[in-house]
Amino acid sequence: MTGFLGALSDAWAEIRVHKLRVLLSLIGIAVSVGALTAVVAFSEYQRQFQAEQSDRWGGRAATVVVAVSSDDGVPVDADEFDARFSRVSERFGFSHTARISQGLILGVQLPDGIAQVPARVMDPAFSQIHRERLVEGRWFLDSDIEAMAPPVVITEPLWDRLGRVPLSQHPTLTLSGPAGGTYQVIGITPRQGFGDEELRVDLLYEAYRARVDALPADAWTQYEIWMGTGQVDEIAPVLAMDLRAGLPEGQTVTVNRSDWAAQPGALDAQATFEMITGGIAALILALGALSLINIQLVAMRQRVREIGVRRAFGASSGRVFFAVFLESLVATTVAGVIGIAIVVAVLRSEWVITSLFYGIQDIPPFPMRAALIGLLASVIVGAVSGFIPALVALRVKVIDAIRF
Amino acid sequence: MRQRDELVSLVALDDVSKSVLLADDSRLEILRGITLEVGAGDHVSIVGRSGSGKSTLLNILGMLDAPTSGSVAFEGREVGRMRSGRLDRLRGDNVGFVFQQFNLLPGRTAIDNVMMPLGHAKGRMFWNRRQIAADMLERVGLGHRVEQIADKLSGGEQQRVAIARALVRRPVLILADEPTGALDIDTGASVMSLLDEVATETDAALVTITHDLHVAARARRHYRLDAGRLETADLSRAFEASTLAASVPSAPPEVIG
Repeated sequence: MTGFLGALSDAWAEIRVHKLRVLLSLIGIAVSVGALTAVVAFSEYQRQFQAEQSDRWGGRAATVVVAVSSDDGVPVDADEFDARFSRVSERFGFSHTARISQGLILGVQLPDGIAQVPARVMDPAFSQIHRERLVEGRWFLDSDIEAMAPPVVITEPLWDRLGRVPLSQHPTLTLSGPAGGTYQVIGITPRQGFGDEELRVDLLYEAYRARVDALPADAWTQYEIWMGTGQVDEIAPVLAMDLRAGLPEGQTVTVNRSDWAAQPGALDAQATFEMITGGIAALILALGALSLINIQLVAMRQRVREIGVRRAFGASSGRVFFAVFLESLVATTVAGVIGIAIVVAVLRSEWVITSLFYGIQDIPPFPMRAALIGLLASVIVGAVSGFIPALVALRVKVIDAIRF
Repeated sequence: MRQRDELVSLVALDDVSKSVLLADDSRLEILRGITLEVGAGDHVSIVGRSGSGKSTLLNILGMLDAPTSGSVAFEGREVGRMRSGRLDRLRGDNVGFVFQQFNLLPGRTAIDNVMMPLGHAKGRMFWNRRQIAADMLERVGLGHRVEQIADKLSGGEQQRVAIARALVRRPVLILADEPTGALDIDTGASVMSLLDEVATETDAALVTITHDLHVAARARRHYRLDAGRLETADLSRAFEASTLAASVPSAPPEVIG
């Protein structure tokens, strides 16, 4: 016990006395450990970012899509299936269920006349399942169903065509046709990329359905259910079975997962990214370790006499080895912790993350894994770069070192 | 305190020889057939010219080096058979060194230097090392220099720190190699007085290697090392032969033959 504490205090005293040397040699370690930590953390943020991107297309993990079709191509009665779906899904108590009908075309009153614009009708949960992002405004809420002027969410190009009236001035949209009337614009979806000029209107399913006798024949509806990834494998087959029970002849119900996590190899890109960037950081770390070994070896030549004196006063060779070894270990650990602390401090800034990952919604907490990997790396580097000089110190001959 | 007449043998060298193999495969005899016994509380001086093997002898006495032939016993135990770790502990517990060039740890304060040997101790000595070291520095008259960086002290002060370091674990054997070699005459004299005093206080045996006859004269037993052979020395004759004869102390020390 006293031996260990003694060696630790020797190591710490040595670091204190040679602050400048230690500081210079450790800057590299702090930087490379910081880089390694940042890479691992970036990889986590990147994963979240990509997951969010994928969620916009396929829904969050795990999203189950239910669709019905008939074998002969005759449109299925949407209301009838809707009733069936409501009846079946009731017992599961899903928290997020959304109907989404696509393939509708609506007449929209634009300043230059009526334009035929594709439309989607959906339930409010759709935006949560798909992490829909807006340039301005908000998505549908359950309470919107009661609104006198039903809300719509439009794309940015359509908003431009309407004169880009700020939402604070409550712009409206006039639709013609069966569901015609005035709708309040409550949200604007962003362009998906440069040159995206898609005009589209999103309406609330209930509000639209209340205004028409039936959904148009060419509209196709699917049901999306967002549930826990742990339950999906158990629930989906049961749900499919229940939906198929007593289904009219010639109709087929499909129940599939549409989220990215169900795709094979979804995490491969992540692993590759982490491997490449992590490899670079590890290389930097190895270079830092090499320079540390170099400095320590040179320092050891200057410390031969000191080691000899310590040996003369009773330090065993093991103790000298351990003290020199600990010196590197303590120093790199301290440097590593400093590097990690700086990275944590920088990456805890929401501004930095949102600048690096534009559009990220749920910023995950700083990944503990990154800090632990950084710490482990600094300890390993300390152990490796302490071992070689410690071996040299072990070989110091007391008599040669002291030279009476 | 032990009485002089019941001297307990601390280190006993029996027919010790040391030789090294040179690059041309010839052997250089450094020490030849040395038999020496140092008892507790003994004060022994060894004089000799440069290259006479003084340092090698001191290394063997301090268990830093092993003889080529012959045996070394510490407190009756054969040293040659001990494992290295045990030998290190034995040395740390029982032997204190004072070097010509002080060999203080660079960049460390006086107290850090004096605490260093206590860092290898156990129990109370380890846990109270700062207090023990401070007391020791006080004893050698450096109570006001405790936090001073050792390299910044004067030569005399540095050697006093070195003496405090050598004595802080209360060793039974102090080996001093030219302790005044780097000091002027007055400082050297005061340092030697201190070393003598503290060694006597703690009942430690003191073996001094020197070529300064005045320093040697402080010991009770005197030896001369010449071409690897140890003989008892007659300092009065040495003084007569010396150009420093004029400064011979008025009462020449008793020479133990």
